[in-house]
Amino acid sequence: MTAAPDTTVPTTPSTSGTPAGGEPTSTSSLLEVEDLQVSFPTPRGVVKAVNGVSFRLGEGRILGIVGESGSGKSVTARAVMRMLREPGRVDGGRVTLGGRDVLALPEKEMRGIRGEEVAMVFQDPQAALNPVMTVGDQISEALRVHGTPKQQARQRAVELLRQVGIPDVERTVDQYPHEFSGGMRQRVVIAIALANKPKLLIADEPTTALDVTIQAQILELLVDLRDELGVAIVMITHDMGVVAELCDDLVVMYGGRVVETGPVQQVFTEQRHPYTKALLRAVPRADEHGDRLTAIPGAPPNPADLPPGCSFAPRCPVAQDRCRESVPPLEELAPGQRAACFVSADGGELSGERTTTSRTRSARADTDTDTAPVLVVEDLRTNVSRKRSLLGKITPVYAVDGVSLEVRSGETLGLVGESGCGKSTLSRTIVGINEAAAGTITVDGSDVTAMGAEDRRHVAETIQYVFQDPFASLNPRRTIGQSIGEALEMARVSGAEARSRASELMDTVGLNDGHLGRYPHEFSGGQRQRVGIARALAKEPKLLICDEPVSALDVSIQAQIINLLEELREELDLGYLFIAHDLSVVRHLSDRVAVMYLGRIVETGPAAEVYGNPQHPYTVSLLSSTPEPTVDERTRERIVLTGDMPSPANPPSGCPFRTRCPIGPLFQKDREVCETERPALTLTPAGQSAACHFPGELAEGVSA
Amino acid sequence: MSTSDIDAAVAAPARRRFAVPASLARYGAAFRTPRGMVATAVLLVLVALALLAPVIFAGGYDVQSSDSFAGPSGAHLFGTDELGRDLLVRSVYGLRTDLLLVLLAVPVSGIIGSLLGLSGAVWPRFGTLMQRFFDIIIGFPSFILALCVVVVLGANFTSTVVAITILGLPGFGRLARSGALEQQGREYVIAARTLGVSRRRILTRHIVPNTADPLIVHAAIFAVNAVFIESGLGLLGLGVQPPQPSLGSLLNNGMRHVREMGFYPIGPMLVLLLLALSLSMLSDSLNERVNRR
Repeated sequence: MTAAPDTTVPTTPSTSGTPAGGEPTSTSSLLEVEDLQVSFPTPRGVVKAVNGVSFRLGEGRILGIVGESGSGKSVTARAVMRMLREPGRVDGGRVTLGGRDVLALPEKEMRGIRGEEVAMVFQDPQAALNPVMTVGDQISEALRVHGTPKQQARQRAVELLRQVGIPDVERTVDQYPHEFSGGMRQRVVIAIALANKPKLLIADEPTTALDVTIQAQILELLVDLRDELGVAIVMITHDMGVVAELCDDLVVMYGGRVVETGPVQQVFTEQRHPYTKALLRAVPRADEHGDRLTAIPGAPPNPADLPPGCSFAPRCPVAQDRCRESVPPLEELAPGQRAACFVSADGGELSGERTTTSRTRSARADTDTDTAPVLVVEDLRTNVSRKRSLLGKITPVYAVDGVSLEVRSGETLGLVGESGCGKSTLSRTIVGINEAAAGTITVDGSDVTAMGAEDRRHVAETIQYVFQDPFASLNPRRTIGQSIGEALEMARVSGAEARSRASELMDTVGLNDGHLGRYPHEFSGGQRQRVGIARALAKEPKLLICDEPVSALDVSIQAQIINLLEELREELDLGYLFIAHDLSVVRHLSDRVAVMYLGRIVETGPAAEVYGNPQHPYTVSLLSSTPEPTVDERTRERIVLTGDMPSPANPPSGCPFRTRCPIGPLFQKDREVCETERPALTLTPAGQSAACHFPGELAEGVSA
Repeated sequence: MSTSDIDAAVAAPARRRFAVPASLARYGAAFRTPRGMVATAVLLVLVALALLAPVIFAGGYDVQSSDSFAGPSGAHLFGTDELGRDLLVRSVYGLRTDLLLVLLAVPVSGIIGSLLGLSGAVWPRFGTLMQRFFDIIIGFPSFILALCVVVVLGANFTSTVVAITILGLPGFGRLARSGALEQQGREYVIAARTLGVSRRRILTRHIVPNTADPLIVHAAIFAVNAVFIESGLGLLGLGVQPPQPSLGSLLNNGMRHVREMGFYPIGPMLVLLLLALSLSMLSDSLNERVNRR
């Protein structure tokens, strides 16, 4: 492991994308990590979580650390703060922060450094805030432990909250965390981190738990803070899109080691490590539709059981024998860009031959309209409230409020929306888990809205469900064989036939017979999702409802599952109702798209039209908020929505989107119609339907 | 269906990070902790003593001698009582009574209580009714309730079992109900529902196996309680009646005659202590092992 600390940080600012004022003012590095080694002794042996990681970060720069679960990215960050979880320990290496060796400092001095020199922002703002203290007190506390007097601390708290964009600060400073929305809470966490003017902010997946429109707000805030305060940021993420949008430099980690590092611009233009290359190709993009994704085979390595050579070798398309025997050193392969790859160092070709052929999927929606749809939902409303008033009357809260859609076999309808928009409630109402309050559900020609016993059987035979979290949706006490057997039993297949069907199903989803005797915890996330799909297929349904089927998976695994779903659709002529918050994934799979907001569909139509020329301002902002894994996008104008989605318990009058709409009454006072009249879903000249009084207006303004 | 990525996914080894949890293996693990091992050893010795009592002390618990209120000696390790009966013999037979009581009352209470609690998952109204019934039981201080039962049914072995069974119902019932309610919201239960699995199947196949752990731990904890309730009733003379000894009634006699023979209550107390302590240590280590997934 050669650590060459004098090569990484480019002194020339990256040319585009870095906003003026964000340029590093000095070439000295703020944070230097050299050959860091972290291990976790466990009863089953020592797990080397971080194995010789080195990188540098200049003042006022944003460094992205990218990796999948188990890559050691979070452990690295925690080691810098000297806040490793038990029983983690640093075995070697140096961490220099502002010229001081952090690892050698006594704990007392380290406490001074935490907060004043370096502060951390966590993934889950809910868990990072104390629910019984007002946010003002929590910020003041951060200040007072570092010696600020009480009066001043309060003033500074107000100032900080204002700085991170909390509205109505004088009032909100005395509120409790539960009174804030997720995005606002994350702002509070950032305010606490900034309280003592640290030079370095470590953000560990700060936007992963947030919706895209909120993520866009937080990313914008981070860039602003860097520009105004000159604070350097280490951004830990799994999302290449976030890196492309936010970061100056990039460190790619895999199996506890750095596999590639360099300026973002350069790495995105040309990758010197096959993992980085594969990772970028495995991510679906909102602006393209067609080619099958190039999935990375296999699963990320288990840190407790790393292969002897290059950790990526077992999954690498160009791996050679030496890759499996010894660990390649991190070498400078281009100015400022280093990679740990033998093949790349020798100037070899990094991508294996593309195994997939490009395909052009015709929009089925146009050609197949003559076939009867498998699922028709009309004007469906679902009440999720069970709260009763004094007189025992239920005050309804409609999580789904008048939704109509239809899906044919072989066709995919993508349903997009942020958390709380009602997309999961909608799908659960279709399969009878929630009760429909109004409207009709027609499955394969028969009305099943009442969900009697016969209806339920009919639905279960026609529609099956693939869950977001395959671990949660499999009974931990039953083997995979038992779980799939149960589904087959429901399909009235038993005995020897069930056994052969079970292994057939396993084969269909890319697993094998031997897996049937195992328990869910013995599988990796991707494999578990394959099991979930196999179980759904057991009853030979015509339609699968996929509720965020890939969002709990690592990026490199997502592509495998997406490809599998595509193959199954073609082979079995399945229809999909594909629910996701990730617009890129939906774009990749869908023929038609429906965008949901606050229980209603605000825009729907063929995917190409909705994505190419969005008509509803919400669709436009969603698309604009989605970070794309490409650096060319940096210059694009981004529409960042203000505020959060209102509660369905108390929806706004008129258009539900008017409280955040960039072309609504919030910005254009004369548009009272949005407040008084609810826009109906009507066909627009662009080819799709949108529920907006002024369709297409925003799209024209920012057409790319 | 054989693109390279899927083949490779198969080739990738499944992670084997934990031991197979196949139910019994995890309970076995509880007995391998230091605490669990000590508890099991003590408990095994006590059970063996109780089982073998008629063999070891072939004369039974009523052999009298002229030597009453004798202090501990080589011949009578715990001394003798007012009728000159060996207190060690009586303590072991008392232990036998207590163990039998625990073995009867705890499983019966556990099974009835759990069924009543789970019933709410099938018939919600009945379940709610049962909860109110449990509330009533809890509303009384448990020992007072046990006294009432024993007073109504008469002081004997059977009514002690009944009293302990009734006292155990709310604990098991509530635990079973909350477990079932929690499991009902779990995604794998919802997954079974979308497959069209019947309510009864879901209950027996998915809900019950996944709520069993806390119930089993609770049974071990409740066993300790049962021992205490018995000894409490016995101490007041309302438990098992003479001449049959129980640890509680021995304590009762011991306290009455403590002036005549200071060591009288010590022996039975020691046995009681060992029993309660080993049961409680066992429940602790079970809890530790089983509730950690």
